[in-house]
Amino acid sequence: MRQSRQTPDMPTAIIPPEFDATLIARYDVAGPRYTSYPTAPHFTAGFDETVLRGVIRTSNEEPIPRPLSVYVHVPFCTSPCFYCGCNRIITRDASQADRYLQRLYREIELVAPLFDRDRSVIQLHFGGGTPNFLDTTQMGELLESLGQHFSFSHAADREYGIEIDPRFADAAYIHELGELGFNRISVGIQDFDPAVQKAVNRIQSFEQTREVLDAARSSGFRSASVDLIYGLPLQTVAGFSRTLDQVGALNPDRVAVYGYAHLPEMFKAQRQIAAADMPDPATRLALFGCAVTQLSAAGYVYVGMDHFAKASDELVQAQRAGTLQRNFQGYSTHGDCDIVGLGVSAIGRVGDSYSQNARDLIGYYAALDAGRLPVVRGLELDEDDLIRRALIGELMCHGLVDKRRFGARHRLLFDEYFVRGRQRLAPLIADGLVLEDARHIRVTSRGRLLLRIIAMCFDAYLDDAAQAARYSRVI
Amino acid sequence: MQSKHPAGRLPEPPSPIADDGDETHFCGTCAFSSACIAAGYEKPELAELQCLVEHVGPFSAGQHIFRTGDPFRAIFAVRSGTVKTRMVDKEGREQVLGFYLPGEVIGLNAIYPEHFPCDAVALDTAFFCRFSFPAMSALASRVPAVQKHLFRMLSKELGSASLLAGDHSADERVAAFLMDLAGRYAARGFSATRFHLSMSRGDIANYLRLAAETVSRVLSRFRSQGLIRIEGRELELLDPAGLRQIGQALLPD
Repeated sequence: MRQSRQTPDMPTAIIPPEFDATLIARYDVAGPRYTSYPTAPHFTAGFDETVLRGVIRTSNEEPIPRPLSVYVHVPFCTSPCFYCGCNRIITRDASQADRYLQRLYREIELVAPLFDRDRSVIQLHFGGGTPNFLDTTQMGELLESLGQHFSFSHAADREYGIEIDPRFADAAYIHELGELGFNRISVGIQDFDPAVQKAVNRIQSFEQTREVLDAARSSGFRSASVDLIYGLPLQTVAGFSRTLDQVGALNPDRVAVYGYAHLPEMFKAQRQIAAADMPDPATRLALFGCAVTQLSAAGYVYVGMDHFAKASDELVQAQRAGTLQRNFQGYSTHGDCDIVGLGVSAIGRVGDSYSQNARDLIGYYAALDAGRLPVVRGLELDEDDLIRRALIGELMCHGLVDKRRFGARHRLLFDEYFVRGRQRLAPLIADGLVLEDARHIRVTSRGRLLLRIIAMCFDAYLDDAAQAARYSRVI
Repeated sequence: MQSKHPAGRLPEPPSPIADDGDETHFCGTCAFSSACIAAGYEKPELAELQCLVEHVGPFSAGQHIFRTGDPFRAIFAVRSGTVKTRMVDKEGREQVLGFYLPGEVIGLNAIYPEHFPCDAVALDTAFFCRFSFPAMSALASRVPAVQKHLFRMLSKELGSASLLAGDHSADERVAAFLMDLAGRYAARGFSATRFHLSMSRGDIANYLRLAAETVSRVLSRFRSQGLIRIEGRELELLDPAGLRQIGQALLPD
C-alpha cells in the first residue's frame, strides 16, 4: 500500500509523509539540518579576507557568473524570547541601530564592488534578530545604500523578503515596507497558547498577527510565511491544535514548524525555562504529529524538514519540477545564486565556499572600522564536499537520487564512491525509510520526516567524528 | 577535508594528464608522435638522434611559461592544462592572442624573431614537453615528415586569427569559439561535446573582442535555447550542429 503510491515518474517528495511515532522516537537524535554542507561547525579561521576576495574574483570569472542573493542580518531584539538560540542582542536603545547601520554601510561599500556589476541581485532577505527593530526611515536608507552599490534586478520575480515580529509592527509599517519593494514576509508565531507564550516570554495575540498578515496582503506582498515551534514549555496537543486551526484561518502560503531544542547550557536565554515545564518526548512527538496531520488536512504539502507550503506555492512547484534547492533559509527556488551575507554573524556562500562574519558586534565593528572585511571563518569546498553537498541536496529536496545520472554528472561510479554511505543506509532501508535498487535511492513516505537521518549517512564529516569517537572508546 | 574517497571516481575529461609515455613510447597526446611514427621513427630512434624531450611543470594558474622578449630556445607542447598567450601594451592593457589545449604547441611564433613575441600564462595546473629548438631543427632536416608537420602547425597558428577577423556578431563569435574548442579537443581524442572552460569569461571576452557581460549574455541565451548546458565552468554542447550553423561564417568547412 505504502509503496504502491510510488511510481518511477513521480518524485517521492510529493508523497505525504507517514507519521509513525515509534519509528521517529527511535531515530530522534541530534543531527545537522543541512542548510549548508559541510555544516557551519566545520568552518575554519584559515578562511580570511584574502581568501574571500579570491573566491569572489573567481566567481566573477565563470562563463555565466551567478546572480546574487543578499542576506542582511539585523541582530537586535527589544525583548528576549526564552527559546531563542539565534545570534541576537537584546536592547531598547534605538541608537544602537544607527551605530550598527553605519558599519553595515561600510560593509556594503567594501563588499559590493568586489562583484562584477552585471551580477544582479534577484533576492534580498532580511533576518534577525528582529529586522523590524529598524524603523522605515532606517530601512529606506539601508535599501538605498544596497541599491547604490549592488545592481538590483528590476524583474517582476525578484524577491525581497523580511522576517517580522508582529508585536512590534503595525499595518502602516508593513504598508511602508511594501512601498520600499518588500514582497515576501515571514512572521514568527511559535504558539498562540497564552500559557506557552508566558513561559517563553513572547506574548503575541492572534489579532496582532492577523493585522500584520492582512496588511502584507493588501500592500502587494506576494507570499506570507509563518513559523511555529513544537516542544516548547507547557505546550499541549490541545493548545497546539488550536494554534494550528488559527494558522489555518490566517491562511499563509508557507508554514515552518521547528522543533525546539532545549540546550540551556549553550543558550543563556533558555535557562529562564523551567525544566519541569518541558513536554515529555511522547508529547513532543504528538505535537509534531498534530502539525503534520492538521496542516495536511488544511491543504498544505509537506516540502521536507520543517517546511510546509500550499500546493500552488512556488516551493511545491519547484519540488515537482525537480529544481528545488536547499540553503540557509531552508528551501529555495533561487538556490543557484551566490549568497552575500551582510551584518554581524551573517553567512555567505560564494562559488564553492562558505564564509561567516564576526559573531559579536565588537569584532564586527573593529574589522570595519579598520577598513577590513569582517569575515572571520569559512570553508573552501573540495571535490568531495561538492559531490556530497549535491547528493544531500537531492535527498532533502526531491527524496530521489538517480544513481546513474548523478554518477555521470559528477564523474563517479555511485555504488563504489558511496560504499560507506550505502552501508550506513542499510539499517534505514531495513526500517523502510529508504528504498535502494540498481538505479535509484528513494525516500519513502516513512522516511520523509527523517530526512536528516538519511542525509547523515552521506556526511563525510560524521565519518570522521565516528572514527574519533571509536578511538576515544578504545583508549 | 583531508580524508578522500577516490574509489569510484572517474577521470576528468578533457585533461587526463598525458603522462603515459616512457623511454620507448610517446605520450598519448604528443604533438609530434604521429609525424614521427609515420616516418618510421619510434621513440628509441629519436633518442639515438639525441632529440631529447624534457618534461617540465607543473605550472600553476597564473604562472608564466615564457615572457615577451625571452630568448627563443624551445617550443612547448602542452601535456595537460590550458595556456593563454597574450601581449600587454604600454598602458598595461592585455590582449589575449589564443588558448592552447593538451597536445597543442606554443612558441611557434617565436621561430623568426628568436625572441618570444608574447607571454604564455598557465590558466590551470599545466605540464609541458619542452623541445629544444636546435635539436628540433636538426630532426626536421633529417625527417621530412617532421618538417612538414612543423610547417602545418605554423600555418594553423597563422590561420587561427580568422576567428576574430571581420565584422561578426557576438553570437557568431561565441558559437565559433565553442565549436573551435570542441574540434580541437576531438582532434586529440577528448570529448567534443563536454569539456571544462579553463579560461575566465574575461579572457574569452578579451580574445573575442567582446565585453565580458556580452559573453555571459550570449552563453545564457545559448543555454535557454537548449544549445548548451553549463554549470560553473563545465560545458556540454547539446546541439553542436546548431552552434556550427550560428558560427559557420567563422568556421572552416
